[in-house]
Amino acid sequence: MSADAVNTGSRTTRLLGAAVLIGVLALILLGFFGAPEDDEQRDAVRMIFVHLPSAFGIYAAMATTAVGSVMWLWKRSRWWDIVAHSSAEIGVIFCGLTLFTGSVWGRPTWNTYWDWGDVRLVTTLILFLMLVGYLALRSAGGDENAMATRAAVVGLLAAVNVPIINRSVEWWSNRTLHQKSSLTDGNLEDLTLFTLFVGIVVWALFFVWAMIHRFRIGWLEHQLRDIDLETALIQRRAEAATESSGEESR
Amino acid sequence: MTGELTPRAPRPLRSRKAPWVALVIALAVVVAVAALIVNLVEGSLYFYNADEAVEERSDIGDRRFTLQGSPIGCSIVEGFSGDEPVVAFSLSFGGASVDVVHHGDPAELFQADVPVVLDGAWVAQPPVVEGFTGIANDGWHFSSDRMRVKHDNDYINDDEYDERLTLSDAGADSTEVVCEA
Repeated sequence: MSADAVNTGSRTTRLLGAAVLIGVLALILLGFFGAPEDDEQRDAVRMIFVHLPSAFGIYAAMATTAVGSVMWLWKRSRWWDIVAHSSAEIGVIFCGLTLFTGSVWGRPTWNTYWDWGDVRLVTTLILFLMLVGYLALRSAGGDENAMATRAAVVGLLAAVNVPIINRSVEWWSNRTLHQKSSLTDGNLEDLTLFTLFVGIVVWALFFVWAMIHRFRIGWLEHQLRDIDLETALIQRRAEAATESSGEESR
Repeated sequence: MTGELTPRAPRPLRSRKAPWVALVIALAVVVAVAALIVNLVEGSLYFYNADEAVEERSDIGDRRFTLQGSPIGCSIVEGFSGDEPVVAFSLSFGGASVDVVHHGDPAELFQADVPVVLDGAWVAQPPVVEGFTGIANDGWHFSSDRMRVKHDNDYINDDEYDERLTLSDAGADSTEVVCEA
């Protein structure tokens, strides 16, 4: 197999990757030197430029996993199964990043890294654990179709959690330290809003870039399994032919 | 006979991690998720707003609970109880006010009109902190030992937002309780 055959990059992904790098640079400059500090939170507010886009990344990843899972259950399409799996892996990264940045942001603003009574924190942690469980299930081995079906069910259950996380600040206003939606109900200065928008775009581009690469890896693994099976059959036929010719010669 | 395909002992095509490891992880995740959901569903109300806490004071008794309200600026007094730093203040929510003595340093963002979430319990006696005269002044105070700040979703800079100053001057952003001179 040539080197090109296992390369998951393409002109599109290279352009996307370059756009992500430029976007991250722009986000750093805008986040640290462009957007003003907040009158209450001061510089700690700058964490929003990573935290909120990461949370949006979870929504995008989980929506993709949900669609992929439904399509697998409906059409039994391996293509969609790999889409669901790839997106869930990226979702774990976004979810972990959201929890981490939220925790770091929480210390100077809320005066705590974590609060077990906070419904949004706990539901986000539940989603993170469900995604870890999803990936554990994926690596458990066994029949590929059965594994994909089990994973699709877990993926859909995890996706149900997303609207709960999103609406939790409205549904349980007495059970959260979180402020209400910053984008729809909040009051953001123009440059803060613009920087946040840049962050969301950069994270979206990263999601697409990572999805393409991870999907191609998944697809190559799928093809490799087919090749392994065909190779094993050819080898077995060859062995059987050798054995029978040996018996005839005796 | 060249088509001999009698099944034989399977040969692993590729090395895989032991499936039981993944299954144990999956099981642990299921248990953890279930425990967290039970914690959320059966856990007591996360916090009482000041008006709810005052209304249900007799039911709450001396058990620990979490209280939420906005500190009233002119009431905040920092001092010491022995060697321990304390901050005394009154907070309000929903038209009710509560006198609070917080033991320990206040949160970094603790300030007037920015809601706080406090862990502690009712104490059936007035607060005794030098220089502090509570606004509630009802013979009770809330003794707190953990403070969190519940900031809002306004991300603005008062140097650049004159309208916020105007709003503040007009009292639109502050509590309705007025401190006596």
